[in-house]
Amino acid sequence: MSNEGAAGDIASLSTLGTRPPFYRDATVVKWLSQVVGLILVLLGLFFLASQAQNNLEARDIATGYDFLGTALGSDLGSGIDTDPDTSGRALWVGMVNTIRLAIAGIALATILGVLVGVGRLSRNWIVSRTSSVFVETLRNIPLLVQIILIFVVIASLPRVETDQGPIHGWLHISNTGVSIPRVTIGDGFYQWIIFVIVGAALGWQVMRRQERRHDLTGQQTYPWLGFTGVVAVFAAVGWFAHPALGWGGAIFDAIADGIDALTPGIVQLVISLLAIAAAVQWIRRFLASHRTPAGLTKLIDDDYFRIIFAAASAVLVILFVTLGWPGLSSWIINSGRDLFEVIADKFGDGRTGVPITAYRPDIEQLGNFPNYGPAGLNLIQALAAVYFGVVLYTAAFIAEVVRGGILAVPKGQSEAAQALGLRRTTMLRRVILPQAFRVILPPLGNQYLNLTKNTSLAIAIGYSDVVQVGQTVYNQTGKTLEVVSIWMLFYLACSLTISVVVNFFNVRMRIVER
Amino acid sequence: MADGGDVPVIGDKPVIERVAARPAEETYRSPGEWVRKNLFPTPFNSFLTVAVGLFVLFSARGLLNFVFSEERGWDAVRTNLRLIFTHAYPEEQYVRVWVCVGVVAVLAGLSLGLFASRGDGLRLRKIANGLNAAAVAIAGGIVLREPSVLVGADGETVRDGDGVVRQSFAEAMTDRWGWWLVAAILAVIALALRRVPERSDGSHPAVRALDFAVGALAVPVISAWVYPWGHYAFADGEFIAEPGRTVAMSTKLPWTVMWVLAVASLIAGRWVRSRVDERALARLRVVVSCTWLLVPFVLYWVVLRDPDLDWDRILTVDMPLALAFGIGGGIVLRWLTKDGIGEFGRISAVALLGLAAFHWVAAFMGWYPMLQKVRISFLLLAVMALLAHNFSGEAAKRRRLVLAWFVITTVFHYFATVMNTPSTVETPTEALIGGFAVTLVVAVFTLMLSFPLGVVLALARTSRLPIFRVMSTAYIEVVRGVPLITILIFFVVILPLFLPANMEISLFASATLGYTLFSAAYLAENVRGGLQSIRRGQYEASDAVGLSTVQRTVFIVLPQSLRASIPPLVGQVIATFKETSLLAIIGVFDILRMANSVIPAQTQFLGIKREGLLFVSLVYWVFSYMLSKQSQRLERRLGVGER
Amino acid sequence: MSISDATVAVSEELAARDDMIVCRGVDKWFGDFQALSGITATIKEQEIVVVLGPSGSGKSTWIRCINRLEAHQSGQIIVDGIELSNDLRNIEKIRSEVGMVFQQFNLFPHLTVIDNITLAPIWVRRKSRPEAEEQALSLLERVGIPEQAEKFPGQLSGGQQQRVAIARALAMEPRVMLFDEPTSALDPEMIKEVLDVMEELARSGMTMMVVTHEMGFAREVADRIIFMEEGEIVEVGTPHHFFTEPAEERTKMFLSQVL
Repeated sequence: MSNEGAAGDIASLSTLGTRPPFYRDATVVKWLSQVVGLILVLLGLFFLASQAQNNLEARDIATGYDFLGTALGSDLGSGIDTDPDTSGRALWVGMVNTIRLAIAGIALATILGVLVGVGRLSRNWIVSRTSSVFVETLRNIPLLVQIILIFVVIASLPRVETDQGPIHGWLHISNTGVSIPRVTIGDGFYQWIIFVIVGAALGWQVMRRQERRHDLTGQQTYPWLGFTGVVAVFAAVGWFAHPALGWGGAIFDAIADGIDALTPGIVQLVISLLAIAAAVQWIRRFLASHRTPAGLTKLIDDDYFRIIFAAASAVLVILFVTLGWPGLSSWIINSGRDLFEVIADKFGDGRTGVPITAYRPDIEQLGNFPNYGPAGLNLIQALAAVYFGVVLYTAAFIAEVVRGGILAVPKGQSEAAQALGLRRTTMLRRVILPQAFRVILPPLGNQYLNLTKNTSLAIAIGYSDVVQVGQTVYNQTGKTLEVVSIWMLFYLACSLTISVVVNFFNVRMRIVER
Repeated sequence: MADGGDVPVIGDKPVIERVAARPAEETYRSPGEWVRKNLFPTPFNSFLTVAVGLFVLFSARGLLNFVFSEERGWDAVRTNLRLIFTHAYPEEQYVRVWVCVGVVAVLAGLSLGLFASRGDGLRLRKIANGLNAAAVAIAGGIVLREPSVLVGADGETVRDGDGVVRQSFAEAMTDRWGWWLVAAILAVIALALRRVPERSDGSHPAVRALDFAVGALAVPVISAWVYPWGHYAFADGEFIAEPGRTVAMSTKLPWTVMWVLAVASLIAGRWVRSRVDERALARLRVVVSCTWLLVPFVLYWVVLRDPDLDWDRILTVDMPLALAFGIGGGIVLRWLTKDGIGEFGRISAVALLGLAAFHWVAAFMGWYPMLQKVRISFLLLAVMALLAHNFSGEAAKRRRLVLAWFVITTVFHYFATVMNTPSTVETPTEALIGGFAVTLVVAVFTLMLSFPLGVVLALARTSRLPIFRVMSTAYIEVVRGVPLITILIFFVVILPLFLPANMEISLFASATLGYTLFSAAYLAENVRGGLQSIRRGQYEASDAVGLSTVQRTVFIVLPQSLRASIPPLVGQVIATFKETSLLAIIGVFDILRMANSVIPAQTQFLGIKREGLLFVSLVYWVFSYMLSKQSQRLERRLGVGER
Repeated sequence: MSISDATVAVSEELAARDDMIVCRGVDKWFGDFQALSGITATIKEQEIVVVLGPSGSGKSTWIRCINRLEAHQSGQIIVDGIELSNDLRNIEKIRSEVGMVFQQFNLFPHLTVIDNITLAPIWVRRKSRPEAEEQALSLLERVGIPEQAEKFPGQLSGGQQQRVAIARALAMEPRVMLFDEPTSALDPEMIKEVLDVMEELARSGMTMMVVTHEMGFAREVADRIIFMEEGEIVEVGTPHHFFTEPAEERTKMFLSQVL
């Protein structure tokens, strides 16, 4: 290697203190390459978008979300509204179907998965073997194949008969699906649930107090009993007292009116101010982190680039909101108003009925063949197939997660607990499970996400979830891009919700750890 | 290791599940004691045993009754095996399919012979236990299954007033003598294996697991020649059913050849391995790996598709183009690796990249026409030029870079030409093949394409460059947040909208693209796990010895992180394989669609779905189960940490 | 003898030599924690400098700044006449002029010993493989473990690994070697084998900067000792001066704790 600068007299060095040319400057190269990469990606997206624009114009298809308000020419198989007026309503029905499926699926899959996962570790030979077979079979066959298989198997079951069915007519299984008791939300449900929530909050406090007393005095205080008792009392009182909360509707109505009074300009202003505030906040914190007792540190070029980017993104957001998509602000206003109007309606004055009712499934014969009546909760063939398919498949994975979590607790922990003389149940509850739960939670959240996404396979057997309804909509309207964008937003929102919930518990677990 | 010094291990987290928590191998106990200890230790456990046992017995009985019922339409499956595996690939060209299977068999045999780790002994005692269990299971199955339905002389089931008439229990037991025989033979073999004496050094007698698997495969192959499985087929639309004879020659002969080929190449591989030294073996490993990478393309685009090459065009357009790029690019690369070219070389490379990008811009704007493959060639050259400075200086390295460029140009131009040539093979649907073959093809192409993409995404997500990090994170999280089916629909229905009017894309291609982009996001997360397990010291050490970012990534970071992320990567392979079943939804004639819609639509097998679907489940299950078992073995081996 | 006397004594001996590492007013912050403040020092060619100081005193940070594993925020660092700046060419040059040995060895676990050593010469120095391997074998000979060439780092003892790490750094034919607590992660019985290699290296005329807690090594081998505390250079002097009559109170405190 050349060694031209090794002369003793350093002052004679010519490179000293001068900037290198830009293509040799580490910071400039670093940021320049990123900007070039960003521009290339944006350019690619822009070209694709303009190509799509051209193609759509050539085919005479207009873009936009107006179709959500137009009528849909077909019925839906199942859902809260099987004959929706508009495409938008139909998509909403599909979303509700997906969400219901996901929540019910998560509940059953968790129970089943935990049972099987614990069963796999059981010392009972037949239990552990059966659990293993369950897991190894179900998770190695594609879910879609399982769903279709269940669908076909249900179709080959016997027809609906008018006789009573098992468990005194509380359960029916036939080739049209499964019918189970329906529990419905009555008029007064939302008022009542507020009582329950207040009860739960109070009960929580009571439980904590009892726990503390137990810790201090060693008395047996039954904290869970306290919690359940308080909640039960509130639920019972609320059952009769809930009409008293009828005035809640007026408040939400007022909020809705307030939102409606906003103009798009105000919303744009608010969003712009928020963007600016966020950027300013970021820059201030950035600078604060570079402040030393001796004053501000010398910012290197890298830091300037970061600050410039923070400011530039704020500007971009503002440009997007005001010029790029002006409709966004009115959309925000409308949906905000609608949301609160719906809530206000739920709390309306007339809502004084019984909060929850249960019905026994019935069978009626309208035409040649008997069929399930409206009283029961009818898991029609397609719904039953996708529900049980998703539940069984996910349960197999949850079982593995649970097993892994329990195995991850070091053996020394249970030995230590035994050495302390803890009973087996106490050991499980206080030592093993809390530790296992911390390992289990993140992958469990992943499985919940997977389950939610997997409900989309319902499209293969024609259950009207959001994807299947969306397909119907774009087949009729040709608005494929828009429908796909709605799907993506919907599923992203679901994913986000689940990760937020899981993260909440995750953080709580970590606090327990300290 | 004598010292407690910091031994570099891959990853902070242990790669392996906690093996220690598993119960140790049990010492021998009397059967009664075993039952007491494992089935009835406590009252609650006894209750569980009885409940679960009954559940298992009833399920098994139901399954057996279903599978072996006289009313089952298994003919629908065995008649349509070809349909299920390759769809409507033309009969007279079918030898092409066998060539593909043969190539894979030979390569697999060679690879296993050359590189499979020895040591994996399968104890004879363990095999005997397995055979014993199988014999018991068969015997149990014979007893458990309900007695068969009586079939009259006219081939119809005998019925009386209440329904079908069944054999008596005793009749059924004697009627199933064939199965008893199978169980007895298995038991006898097991007994014989147990009697094999211990070796002189006191170790248990064992065979290589691989040898055992190959030997076991011989059983179905031989049985195809001797056992009357029956011959069922469609010949010119006519349904042929000949229960009494062995399977058709067009089935048993090729499979026998395949088995012989696999065994021969396995032996050949072992022989070569015993002859060459470590260095040559390492070189062979590279050659075989490269062959594996090329084989899917060759088999699909050349063997199966049989392009109808237009030699006029090839000689006047394609060959000159390839030559021009090969030679021109070679000269450019040689110049870029000149000693002391310094930053000027890199700036030239960036300029080349700009030129390549400009061609794409021009294509979208429609400024001047250009063959797509020319644009891609420019892009490839630009990428090579960006990497060139790593190869500068020494003559041998410069030669190697130019040589690599020649190979890349040849391969790329060859396949670009072949892919753009119409096929001589005519099939009834748009797709060349269907059934299980398309499942495999899509899975393999998806994995091959998504792997590099996933690695790049993972590197971007963990890089210190915030813009790249944000872009990559956004992509990964969005893709992982939405279901696969929406992405597939997007690519199948909407992708044509984004393409220039004169460009068409087949269902197969757009589906593969959708799978690739989907799977890349998941692969990226797996690779990221591996990347995060690399210690900071590794980065510092590579910086300290002066490696560039690219060199550090290729030589230090990726080898270690990929090794650490092998188990999740195999998991992703299994997931992708299972996800290919979604092809049926978007209209590809894959194996699931065969069973669910094509076969039930045949007049002979109208509405028969359950049998086909069960068979499909079995096929998927066998493949994914084998893969997951292999991955567990791999995981154990990595966990032991031979290095 | 006062500090200036000690410095003069050294200067006389080394005055004729070229400057190898020059630091002027080097500052370095981690967030609002100042790790280095106003470090000014010159290290001459073929000089052996040992940097001492309590943990957290900034020794390692300083030595890592000289190799630009950390970027300093103000001041100048000039190595062999090349200033460490944002200039990519300079960073590249300095990395191949300066060898570094880490406390945790940081060998590449997936490469054999010989590949560990030849990787950088082949891809950075652009040597041919046979040439690089020949050099690697002679370096292994020099550090005393020629028979381990084909093994993986995980199969070696800590002392052997550290010697491989030294060979790896030497393979780049550096003009300066930096040692960041090279013996701190070693079991006591292995420290000597590493120190022996370092002594041999010192005798061969390599410029070395060593962060260590090995007082024996400092006393025997060092030309100069730099004592740091809280990111500042407290005292500079010959080993004799340093161990027998330190001028600063803080130095005395430190010595009384470690000796």
